[in-house]
Amino acid sequence: MIGCLRRISAVAGNTFLEAVRQKVFAVLLVFALVLIGGANYFTEFSFQEQFKFLKDLGYAAISLTGLLVGLLGAAQLIPGEIEKRTILTALCRPLRRWEFVVGKYFGLTAYLALMVVVMALAVWGVLGWKEGQFLRAEGLDPEAAAAIRAEAMDPRLLQAVLLVGAKLAVVAALAVFFSTIATSTTFVMAMTLLVYLIGHLQSVAREQWLEAGEVSRWTVRIFLAVVALLVPDFNLYNLIDEIVAGNVVVWRTTLEVVGYSGVYIGVLLAAAACMFEGRDI
Amino acid sequence: MGWFRGRVLALEGLEMEVQKGEVFGLLGPNGSGKSTAMKMILGLLRPTSGSAEVCGFRAGTISARRQIGFLPENPYFPVFLSGAELVRYYGRLSGLGGAGLEKRVKELLELVRLGGEAGKRPLRTYSKGMLQRAGLAGALVGDPEILMLDEPTAGVDPAGSREIRDLILELKARGKTVIFSSHLLEQVEDVADRVIILHRGKKLREGRLEDLLTRKNEWEVKVQGLPEGDRQELLVWLKKKGGQVVREGAPREKLEDYFLRSLPEETRR
Repeated sequence: MIGCLRRISAVAGNTFLEAVRQKVFAVLLVFALVLIGGANYFTEFSFQEQFKFLKDLGYAAISLTGLLVGLLGAAQLIPGEIEKRTILTALCRPLRRWEFVVGKYFGLTAYLALMVVVMALAVWGVLGWKEGQFLRAEGLDPEAAAAIRAEAMDPRLLQAVLLVGAKLAVVAALAVFFSTIATSTTFVMAMTLLVYLIGHLQSVAREQWLEAGEVSRWTVRIFLAVVALLVPDFNLYNLIDEIVAGNVVVWRTTLEVVGYSGVYIGVLLAAAACMFEGRDI
Repeated sequence: MGWFRGRVLALEGLEMEVQKGEVFGLLGPNGSGKSTAMKMILGLLRPTSGSAEVCGFRAGTISARRQIGFLPENPYFPVFLSGAELVRYYGRLSGLGGAGLEKRVKELLELVRLGGEAGKRPLRTYSKGMLQRAGLAGALVGDPEILMLDEPTAGVDPAGSREIRDLILELKARGKTVIFSSHLLEQVEDVADRVIILHRGKKLREGRLEDLLTRKNEWEVKVQGLPEGDRQELLVWLKKKGGQVVREGAPREKLEDYFLRSLPEETRR
């Protein structure tokens, strides 16, 4: 067991180190930080609008940068190693293939988590900075100051960070799954994006079909059930928008979505390990 | 091989056995199946039929792979790592860790002469010879019984090539079994105990170099310090006794030896 954990952590550590040393990811991170920081200079709004704008832009930057890093990183995980043939020198060791897949995934997820945390701290810093500016502008009116503080340092933002992280972790698991059957990074990225889009559209499409009464045929029902089962419902993560808009989302719902993500990640990694087991290198 | 591309039989009816402690050479032209045979032993490729065993374990299993250290044909290493990080990474993949691993990394880097600052440099700054030596240290980190080296000297300069040859001999002296492939036949001749010759996936020949290369109906003697007159007399005597002189004259040094002797001492090491 210790040996197994040691091998998984070795692969994860190496993947993390590779991601950290990749200039393209650092550039993306800097770009996101500049975007988050730059949002502070849009000052034509009331403080409520201003904070909403900062949160909207901040979380959009986190999601987009995370998605790009997740896609690029995961796409390179296994096809990249096969193309560069570095996989030969790893899999010739007493390392199980599933350990390799899981280690790769954890390494990438750890890097994504680090990026999300860094960007979330940047959003938090910008909100704090803006809070100070508004507090100075509003003088010592305790009521206004309390409203500003409540808008700026909303603890629900932690829920949003958790949900962004869970969403990115599912995207990374999808990309890892495709990377175990693909021979090119383009295929992995294209397939992951396709499933990501289907995941966003599937619940809307299902509702449309239900309303139109087209699900009476059993074949359509089975098709919808299969799609719903195979493709994660990415609309669940729209809770992030609710939180950013200032609406209440209970922790239980957030944790349910995180649990849902965990189940999909587990299934995707198990499927990836099975696919990779029989593959000739 | 892929859709609509048909199948290629990379190896057919290959039977071979490598004894503990011997240096075994896999010879053959490109595409003869040397690398495929190695990959099958490592479990990276699955045979359509047949089986292999490594130290009593089915080839490709974790127990079998624990017995093998592998150095691929080209330095397929994560180049963002330094030499020391590479050996440490491979050590951890082999289940090692802690102070024991650190000690082993240091020892091996010293063994392949990448100790000190050289081991801290990123692999992308290494020469081909240095990369192969780092890879060799990585192959040795789990203290395997068997070393499998796929073209270990391909693309390496003569001095680096000689170093790798010396390392193979040193490993043999330590009781390790070495299986290696090479196109440099002279080098194989220098280090291998036994060889197998493959062609288009089939075995052509196999045996001890001594048995394969010795011309049993010829006899060779090297003489030093014999005056010219005596040499002529010896030739006449040999002819008189019915011997046919196949080759006669001053022996030539190997170009590799001459080249290495011409280099300054520090470049040779």
